[in-house]
Amino acid sequence: MKKFLTIVKREYLQRVRARMFIVSTILLPVVMSLFGIVPAIILSIETPPMRVAVVDQTGKMFTQLGRALSGDDADQRTAARNDNTVLRRASVNFVLEEVSAANQSAEQIRASLDQRLNAKQIDGYIILPPDFLKNGKAEFFNRNPGDVVSQGRLSSALNRAAREQRLIDANVDPGTRQGLFRPVELQAVKIGTGVKERDSGERFALVFGIGLVMYLAILMYGQVVLGAVIEEKETRIAEILFSSVKPFALMMGKLVGVSLVALTQLAIWGLAFSTLALAGARLLAGRGIAGNIPTLPLSHYIYFGLFFLLGYFIYATIYALVGSMVTTAQEGGQLAMPIIAILVVSFYLFFPVSRSPDSTFSFWVSMIPFSAPVAMLVRIVTQTPPFWQIALSLLIGFSSVLAITWVAARIYRVGMLMYGKRASIPEALRWARQA
Amino acid sequence: MASSETTVKLDRVTKRFGEFTAVKELSLDVRAGRVFGLLGPNGAGKTTTIRMIVNITAPDSGSILLFGHKIDPRTQDRIGYLPEERGLYRRMRVGDQLRFFAQLRNFHGKQVEKKIDEWLARVKLPEWKNKRSMELSKGMQQKIQFITSVIHDPDLLILDEPFSGLDPVNVELLKEIVLDLKRAGKTIIFSTHQMEVAEKICDDICLLNRSQKVFEGSLREIKSSFGRNSVAVRCEGGDGVLGDPALVSKLVRHADEAQALLAAGADAQVLLKRLINSGAVIEKFEMVEPSLNDIFITKVTEPA
Repeated sequence: MKKFLTIVKREYLQRVRARMFIVSTILLPVVMSLFGIVPAIILSIETPPMRVAVVDQTGKMFTQLGRALSGDDADQRTAARNDNTVLRRASVNFVLEEVSAANQSAEQIRASLDQRLNAKQIDGYIILPPDFLKNGKAEFFNRNPGDVVSQGRLSSALNRAAREQRLIDANVDPGTRQGLFRPVELQAVKIGTGVKERDSGERFALVFGIGLVMYLAILMYGQVVLGAVIEEKETRIAEILFSSVKPFALMMGKLVGVSLVALTQLAIWGLAFSTLALAGARLLAGRGIAGNIPTLPLSHYIYFGLFFLLGYFIYATIYALVGSMVTTAQEGGQLAMPIIAILVVSFYLFFPVSRSPDSTFSFWVSMIPFSAPVAMLVRIVTQTPPFWQIALSLLIGFSSVLAITWVAARIYRVGMLMYGKRASIPEALRWARQA
Repeated sequence: MASSETTVKLDRVTKRFGEFTAVKELSLDVRAGRVFGLLGPNGAGKTTTIRMIVNITAPDSGSILLFGHKIDPRTQDRIGYLPEERGLYRRMRVGDQLRFFAQLRNFHGKQVEKKIDEWLARVKLPEWKNKRSMELSKGMQQKIQFITSVIHDPDLLILDEPFSGLDPVNVELLKEIVLDLKRAGKTIIFSTHQMEVAEKICDDICLLNRSQKVFEGSLREIKSSFGRNSVAVRCEGGDGVLGDPALVSKLVRHADEAQALLAAGADAQVLLKRLINSGAVIEKFEMVEPSLNDIFITKVTEPA
């Protein structure tokens, strides 16, 4: 046991002290926060508002359009100040200007507006023909037809404005109008409990997030486990080690040591992200958007932890097994490809299992160690299975981890005695038997 | 723990790898406080024998006793082992590395630091304690590897080709250390195919060839049993006499002299007389002990 801890300690300290580890641990949160902050900064750069002249030949649309663009539906503004022909309505980034069409032919108006467009007094103009409300056809002239964002906003605002005006024309009173547009709400209710499951979306997100972190941890640290197992082969230390420590203790020590490194890094990142997330949530809350943290029983969080560890270890041991068979990290990398494939497939089980969490299929995939972590977590947050199933799944999973480590240790030892020969699968099986 | 008993006792030990028998019916006794040479050509089964002694592989049949007991983790910690295949963690500092290997032998606490400093001073590398082993030259690394096998003060030290690739100065240094350890009462098993080295430091030897023991005993006894039947000759002429199979069974020419192994029943005096009669100018004519190498070659080529 003491020797096992010696191995764990060496594996852990050697890696945590490495410059690579320190740099990557610090760098990721920095890079991620840059990804969060930089777009926000860029988007917050003020661009001058787009000046748009509106030739409203219907005589009704200008006010509506202004309201629609500013997203302001307050009724007191319906009595807009339409006494001025050059009424300016400032929306977020549009400045509208009504141009009277009276006493001028369409050509004259266009000619004068084109002139102002060229003189850069305005950035574009819209012509709403008299039959606009009927035909729904309007024209937007501007210098920059590629500006799809502004055009999109203008188009959808115009659409809303036209709808409003048509309802007004149909003599629908404002109260009825609001009633007609009230959105519906679909609420998921869990049967039996009578409790309204307002947060099932967040729960899925949580499970998906755990699965994703597990996936990333395996992708990042699987190779590290592989390298750790091969290290003594490449440096030819294995034989010295095996004269004082059992191969199983060595293998397990490596696995645990590297995993503690992974957990350390994930914990640091987790802390950094939650700090950022809390700061972000406070920022959003300041703007009146409340974040929703799902409320779950404590047992669920324990299960999350256990199945995360199971998922990580089951794949990490497979990497160790591959490492025991090969002589260089490069060979190992190639052999490790199928592991990623199994991982991806097990991840997709998320969807069928969430659709029918209590089916026979869901039961079996939540018992197979390779798919259990994701499948069982989905079942737990949807229809929590009986405790014995959860316990059995964990038991099978962690026993498999031990069994695979044991086999890896045997293959490793015989492989070492055979002087750096790479094992084929049948050879590896024979070695595991004969060691 | 130097007792008058045997430190390692092998009794009819056999080890097979598939069809291949690496060690066959091997019995031997390694006496405490002596340097035991396990000799033989490449592939004779030396390394496999050692691996069974240090419990890396188990014999298929036969028994091995260490310090009078079957191998268990406690006896395992009393062994120091320097395998032929050896290395160091490249990125680990020398001090950390030695501490790690000491701890793997259940050697903990403050004495470890003291031992590390002592040994580094002994091999003349004290200023390298905080350097990574990848910064060391190959010779330095070999000395550090040697320390890893003795850092926990083992009672039995097993060295598999310890001097291969070392320069003569360092060979001399390590040889001194090995002899000091012997004086301190440690038992040393020394495996090599370099007979000249073995000849200088071994008390007892066991010669292995093709998985089997050819002979075993003290180096003195073996040498005297072979008798002085070898002559070192330096002369001009007399080639016909030296080439006479009735007198000389084997003639090995070195740079400026030749070594003649006398044929069975031949007399050195007769050889000398014949050489003088043939008109050869003799500069040197000396009866010599057979070298271990000669014994080795004679034994290995002898029909069983």
